[in-house]
Amino acid sequence: MSYVTVPGAPLLDIRGLSKHYGTIRALDDVSFTLDRDEIVGLLGDNGAGKSTLVKCLAGAVIPTAGEVYLHGDRKVFSTPAEARDEGIETVYQQLALVDIFDIPANFYLGREVVRSGWRGKLGILNRRLMRKRARAAVEALPARFPNLDAEIETMSGGQRQVVAISRAGFWGGRLLLLDEPTAALGVKEAAAVLEMIGAMVSSSDTDMAMIVISHNMEHVWSICTRLLILRQGRLVADLPKSETTRQEVVAHITGATA
Amino acid sequence: MAKARSDRGRGDGDGIPATPAGGVMSKLTSRVRFTAMQARVGVLILLCVFFTIRSPFFFTSTNLVNVLVNGAVIGIIGSAMTLLLVARQVDVSVGSAIGFAGAVFAVFARDYGMAWGVVAAIAAAMAIAGINAVAIIKFRVNSILTTLATLVAFRGASKLVMDGRAVRVEGFRFLGRTRFEVWGIEIPVAVIVLLLVVAIFYVVMRLTKYGQQMYAIGANPQAARLAGIPLERQVGIAFVLTGATVALAAMIVVSQVGAVSPTTGERMEFLALTGVIVGGASLYGGRGSVIGTLVAILILAVLDNGLVLLQVQSFWQEVSRGVLLLGAVVFDQLGRREAEVRMDV
Repeated sequence: MSYVTVPGAPLLDIRGLSKHYGTIRALDDVSFTLDRDEIVGLLGDNGAGKSTLVKCLAGAVIPTAGEVYLHGDRKVFSTPAEARDEGIETVYQQLALVDIFDIPANFYLGREVVRSGWRGKLGILNRRLMRKRARAAVEALPARFPNLDAEIETMSGGQRQVVAISRAGFWGGRLLLLDEPTAALGVKEAAAVLEMIGAMVSSSDTDMAMIVISHNMEHVWSICTRLLILRQGRLVADLPKSETTRQEVVAHITGATA
Repeated sequence: MAKARSDRGRGDGDGIPATPAGGVMSKLTSRVRFTAMQARVGVLILLCVFFTIRSPFFFTSTNLVNVLVNGAVIGIIGSAMTLLLVARQVDVSVGSAIGFAGAVFAVFARDYGMAWGVVAAIAAAMAIAGINAVAIIKFRVNSILTTLATLVAFRGASKLVMDGRAVRVEGFRFLGRTRFEVWGIEIPVAVIVLLLVVAIFYVVMRLTKYGQQMYAIGANPQAARLAGIPLERQVGIAFVLTGATVALAAMIVVSQVGAVSPTTGERMEFLALTGVIVGGASLYGGRGSVIGTLVAILILAVLDNGLVLLQVQSFWQEVSRGVLLLGAVVFDQLGRREAEVRMDV
């Protein structure tokens, strides 16, 4: 994959992004930039605008105002597919996996590969190729799946989450958006998922950045390099992890510093 | 019980980290799934054995061909119905659509000649498919309600077209009454058409990108949408394919009977739906195969035929169909509850 890039421009540059629902300002004039290899935690209370921000970037919500630049090139997304074509992969809270499919079929959901030649014209699937590529991708991960052919519905919540995140990583791209990746998981499973996210970023040799939404500061803290804090639709803090404390972050989330 | 489990697969509960048990589990699941299909084939064979023992007329090539002919029309529309159910859609208007397309066919064939009759029948079936598709896709009306409306409306429309009286169709024998001799057995064209339609739907559903996406749409529409699958387009294509099978079925029925009456096609939607559900498809989408549907429709056809041969009062045919349907639905629900319980955890 090759994208339009402007030399020296940050990977992601958001300027004045807003989303209004009538008089409600779900997202209000948010601006920040993101460089490659950054893992940013997006924190905030319920209704702070975290999901709205991610949905705007993922093409699932069309912003009322503001601009999004990827590598210096301005992008306007009206569907999730358009965002994906620009290398933005999203892992949604509700997982978005098809339970009755196995791992390769879920990896290639909506991007199924057909055979070459006349069979391809008839839309005949190339299952062997999809399986081979998915297997290679899964084997490169720290997480182990007992059986690639097992249907997702036979897996635990943690395994499903790992599948969903691996799928996003599999398609790679430039920006990975994770919406509450650990919210529905137990302590042990959450730890495994976090470990896997960390491993994915450190092992990736591509220019990639990640935004992780979470309620749980501890989870974000363990993997992030930087923290963005939203409150009532506004970006109230943008802190490198090394220069802040948990207490300060909590204070920003709750608004106690104001 | 075995059937329900098999069609649904089973989870090993939530909160259990990755263990090799998953592999064992899935092996078990696939083995049991195989048994579900076996169970259907087993029932079919048992019925055949039973009727062969009880009646000297059952296991004759003439009678078995009759069974196939009786199942052909239902099997053809049942194939399309399976595709619809897989994507969580249904079309209960097919019975009236067959009646309407048949009526249009008969009237046009009488007034303008056979070729125009064929064209008109296809146009009529496609018009109904188009109305269903537009209401369901553009106006987002539930497919049961939409097609219930067209079921009622086109029953009336077909009576209007034929002026409330049966219309004869002379000289159209090919689809309904022509037979080819294969190894000394006369195979009717309708049966060959049935096998072709089943084969086409099998390939489309099992081997193509389109089929794969239809299963995804039925199993998790939200995930399918987020993955960029064009739900509306794919579902629309399925209704158009249903229209094509309706046109084919209508012409076969008219050719077999040699006439169209105000009741032509009546209750065929229920027979097809019964076959599809007994064949393993779920109204909740994501499950079903045309082979299962074909076997189920053969079970229903054998049952009807055998009960007639044994001179059982005809009311029992309906009772037996109802019992089969209820059994299949209960199995489906049992399997579904298991899945829901697991997802709630």
